[in-house]
Amino acid sequence: MKPGAPATLSPSHDAPAARFAFWEDFTRFLGRREVLPLLLLLPVLIFFIVWNLIPTLWLLGLGFYRFSLTSGHPPRFAGLYNYRTILNDSGIWLDLSRTFLFVFFAVALETVLGMALGLLFWNSHRLPGRRIALTMLFAPMVLTPVASGTFWRLIYDPTFGVLNFFIRGLGFHSVDFLGNSSVAFGAVLAVDIWMWTPFMVLMTLAALASVPKAELEAAEIDRLAWHQRLRLIVLHHGKFILMLGILLRTIDAFKTMDLIYDMTYGGPGSTTQLVAMTLYRRAFEAFNMGFSSALAVILLLISIAFTATFIFVLHWRERREASP
Amino acid sequence: MSEKEPSLPALTLPTDSLSLPRRSLLTGAAALGATALYAPNIARAQGKEAHPLAGKSIHMSILGVAGWLPSSLGVDMSPDFAKYVKDRYNYDVTFSFAGAPFGALFQKAATSLATKSQEYNIIISDSQWLGALATPKWIVKLNDIIAKDPALNIDWYAPVVRAAYQVYPDGTDNLYGFPQVGDVEGIFIRKDWLEAPGEADAYKAKYGTPMPMTWEDFEKMDLDDWKKLVAFFNRPEKGYYGIAMQYSREYDAVSCPLISFIRSMGGDIWDPKTGQVEGIMNTPLNAKAMELYKSMLQWNPPGALNYFIAEVVDAFTQGKVFAAWQWVATGATMVPDALKGKVMVVPPPGFKDASGKLNRNYIIGGQPWVINAFNDDAHMRVAFDFMRWWYLPETSANYLKRGGLPCDKATLTSPGFDDVYPWNRTYKYMLQRSTDFWHDPRYAEMLATQQEGWTGYMTGQLKNPAHVLDYIACRQQGILYDEGTADKAPSGACNGIRL
Amino acid sequence: MRQTTWREHGYHALLWLVALIFFAPIIWIVLCSFKTADQILAVPPKLIFTPTVANYAKLFSSSAFPRELFNSAVLSVAAVVIAVAVSFLAAFSFSRFKPAGTNFLMFLLLSIRMLPGSAAILPVYLMYVAFGWKDSYAGMILFYAMFSIPFSVWILKGFIDGVSPRFDETGIINGASWLRIIARTILPQVMPGVIAASIFNFIFVWNEFLFNYIIGGLSTSNIPVALASGLYSNGGVDWTFISALTTVYIVPPILVVYFFQRYLLVGMTFGTVRGEV
Repeated sequence: MKPGAPATLSPSHDAPAARFAFWEDFTRFLGRREVLPLLLLLPVLIFFIVWNLIPTLWLLGLGFYRFSLTSGHPPRFAGLYNYRTILNDSGIWLDLSRTFLFVFFAVALETVLGMALGLLFWNSHRLPGRRIALTMLFAPMVLTPVASGTFWRLIYDPTFGVLNFFIRGLGFHSVDFLGNSSVAFGAVLAVDIWMWTPFMVLMTLAALASVPKAELEAAEIDRLAWHQRLRLIVLHHGKFILMLGILLRTIDAFKTMDLIYDMTYGGPGSTTQLVAMTLYRRAFEAFNMGFSSALAVILLLISIAFTATFIFVLHWRERREASP
Repeated sequence: MSEKEPSLPALTLPTDSLSLPRRSLLTGAAALGATALYAPNIARAQGKEAHPLAGKSIHMSILGVAGWLPSSLGVDMSPDFAKYVKDRYNYDVTFSFAGAPFGALFQKAATSLATKSQEYNIIISDSQWLGALATPKWIVKLNDIIAKDPALNIDWYAPVVRAAYQVYPDGTDNLYGFPQVGDVEGIFIRKDWLEAPGEADAYKAKYGTPMPMTWEDFEKMDLDDWKKLVAFFNRPEKGYYGIAMQYSREYDAVSCPLISFIRSMGGDIWDPKTGQVEGIMNTPLNAKAMELYKSMLQWNPPGALNYFIAEVVDAFTQGKVFAAWQWVATGATMVPDALKGKVMVVPPPGFKDASGKLNRNYIIGGQPWVINAFNDDAHMRVAFDFMRWWYLPETSANYLKRGGLPCDKATLTSPGFDDVYPWNRTYKYMLQRSTDFWHDPRYAEMLATQQEGWTGYMTGQLKNPAHVLDYIACRQQGILYDEGTADKAPSGACNGIRL
Repeated sequence: MRQTTWREHGYHALLWLVALIFFAPIIWIVLCSFKTADQILAVPPKLIFTPTVANYAKLFSSSAFPRELFNSAVLSVAAVVIAVAVSFLAAFSFSRFKPAGTNFLMFLLLSIRMLPGSAAILPVYLMYVAFGWKDSYAGMILFYAMFSIPFSVWILKGFIDGVSPRFDETGIINGASWLRIIARTILPQVMPGVIAASIFNFIFVWNEFLFNYIIGGLSTSNIPVALASGLYSNGGVDWTFISALTTVYIVPPILVVYFFQRYLLVGMTFGTVRGEV
């Protein structure tokens, strides 16, 4: 392509040279090193400002007001009233600690199980129907949570459910998975693990793929034990992707609501009430917008704190290893 | 401003005579709207009546309870309305129906009405939401409409119908809803199992008293009698249990029957006049009611802790329980073809007061129609026509025949009403013995607190019923005080209380 | 080709067993879609039964279903196309030009993913109410796009980082405009990332319930909303409806995962691997 030539021939050669020159200048202007980066970023910035920044600021502001959509009063300024109410509300702190517990166990178990299965499926290229098997493995991730929650409710049902049918067959009494307050938390956790372990399997497979084959072969020649191979080579190289997967899963686990909404609605009692559910009920059941905004801000701060720490640790280790 | 009465109704569209009111309609003159309401009364002599909307085609959308028979009946019958207005007023109406389950319906209505939209012209609302919908002026206050139109001023079967489905705030005369379906709590039992040979004798042998067999027998039963009966039919080894009741956290599942217990035993959950909850909710009597309700779990199928309406339907229709504590409006679903003739519906237990008399004060169910305040004149007019049509005797009769439950005295006292469906007699009986929840705009928060506490106790997560009641009372007092409904703030005992 | 040993057979059987265990509930849902309501609730669970297509017939003849399916498809595809296109440009900018505040902005982008759904939608709902955007296609698509952007930017940046700048330099020397460079040299090499990002975001919007429920309405409701609304029928749970609808609804994502599996696996390496996984 000759430099400076127009991309297309204009049909009429009396197209004003001025117009063409302007267009060429404009494009070149856009291509300048100062302008182009910003131009490329502009769409994302617009999205970010309108649908992220402005709403977040709105939340921040609304948290200082007392406003209930159904009360008929206009919003009343209330300073830190909402924040003080939240801090004094032991129920919310219980929900929060329950959520941390849920996130910890969910992510830990999903990671361990995901890694184990990922290692199992590694180098399974000779598996007949590998693609089908992997698709079946990934299927729980792509089922809509509304359907998952509803059907797992049926599967868990003490009278009509499949699981209890097997349990009764083994000679035990039916377990009320979703109604028994000591079991419900675990039951919901189990469904979450079922849904998202495939995600960690995916991340593990990706992480394993990033391990250089040369090093693995060298390790085989050197007859390193399997756990040494795992630690020194596989984890060393695959760490970054795995950590990213853990981060993504943690962030998402913190937000779990769809599943609970359909399975237990926070019950029995409040044993499966996670903060996202609390927030939903305050915001869209009670329509207490001021309170919910304050709660949302607090949750955002917690998430940001967690993510920042995580990324910092991630980069710190990366930098530590990168330096010779 | 009067309208010309067309002399040949069907042949010409009297556009000239309508140009003035149509223009006024378009400019939204409220006065004309009010006058237009008189038109049918004036022109009633003719088969077709002058109507500002004649010749037009209007689309109405109804928001109702998804998967709830009485609600969908209102929609299924809408073609009859279309035919009615076409014949009488000469305009066309088409309907679309949106719905959400009970637990999510209020969200759907509120999130739409908050945008002042006409997305839903008529809404089927649960009776508790009247306050929440009326206070922000999202629904139409109906006093003037009812005053002007005698057809809408109906003689209800029981005073509770007006109080529950129409009035907000409680105790005033402001009307915001038109009853769509009346609903009460009843108990569905398997008559075929009751009448199976050998059962009556075995019962008499076991307890020494005869087994209840007729509706009248059941009317006399209190909770202890019921306990005996369900224990007798509780046979897990055969695959079925005594009774299915509602304990779920969702919406108002556990609240309704439990409050029925409380009120029938003589207690209450608040004082509507002062908005006071503390001292009324957290009483030893209410704690006893909680224990009694929980004690029924032993004859429920496993999984009852998550039972709401649908689960009770499943349990009963699949033959897993002898009795089911259920809203009678679900009758058609509770008695499918396979169970026709095998089901009896009886009143739920009474509670003996000090003098030995049986008391029943149960929670009323049912939903009113409410009308979107943001409808334009045309849609508003059609909405009022709809209500007028809904309460015509032939519509009520049709509704009843299809399994709906009207509330007017005329239909309910008509001969043969009790025999149309097995639950009709109990419906009439309980309608006179039921009262409603609070209609407060903050009902959702109040209900959520209550549900959380009570299900916590039912599932054994919380052990002390009195403490649970203290917590609920404190919270609800706080909410009502915040709202301005209650005079007194939560007492000092409420500081730092937690479940 | 060496013979498969017994050990290898055992290994393969184990892998298939794991896959089946995870897939089992979905098999159950599909089976239920061919049963009547009584058969679904039957105890002991019926594995052998005469299948019926009545549920599907009822589903396809309902008036709301085609519109909701259409909405699901339109919202997903439109949001993903916009999000990936916009993210690509941004990722390119971050990778090649590293403007000031890159890391900060990339982190901030992630912040909207951190909020629980209700928190994210709350101010957006109020905003949409104020501007009258509730129940509008544009409003929904753009919001979904915003939600898909952070993940896409992160993946694409990783991939673009992995494309040597030499390609750019060669292109510039030859006088090509940036657009050509992107289209001809960069894009083909980061295709796995683009496809992976598209797939993940597509599945997210396809399965999304809460946002559509709150800021959608009569004309833009998608299938998960229909599932939640149609849960009950005349008082009882409508198992036949849910199973049929779920089965139909899961088919596109499963097909996508099947056909684009290679890209998915490569894409999730965030650019550190560009070959076969």
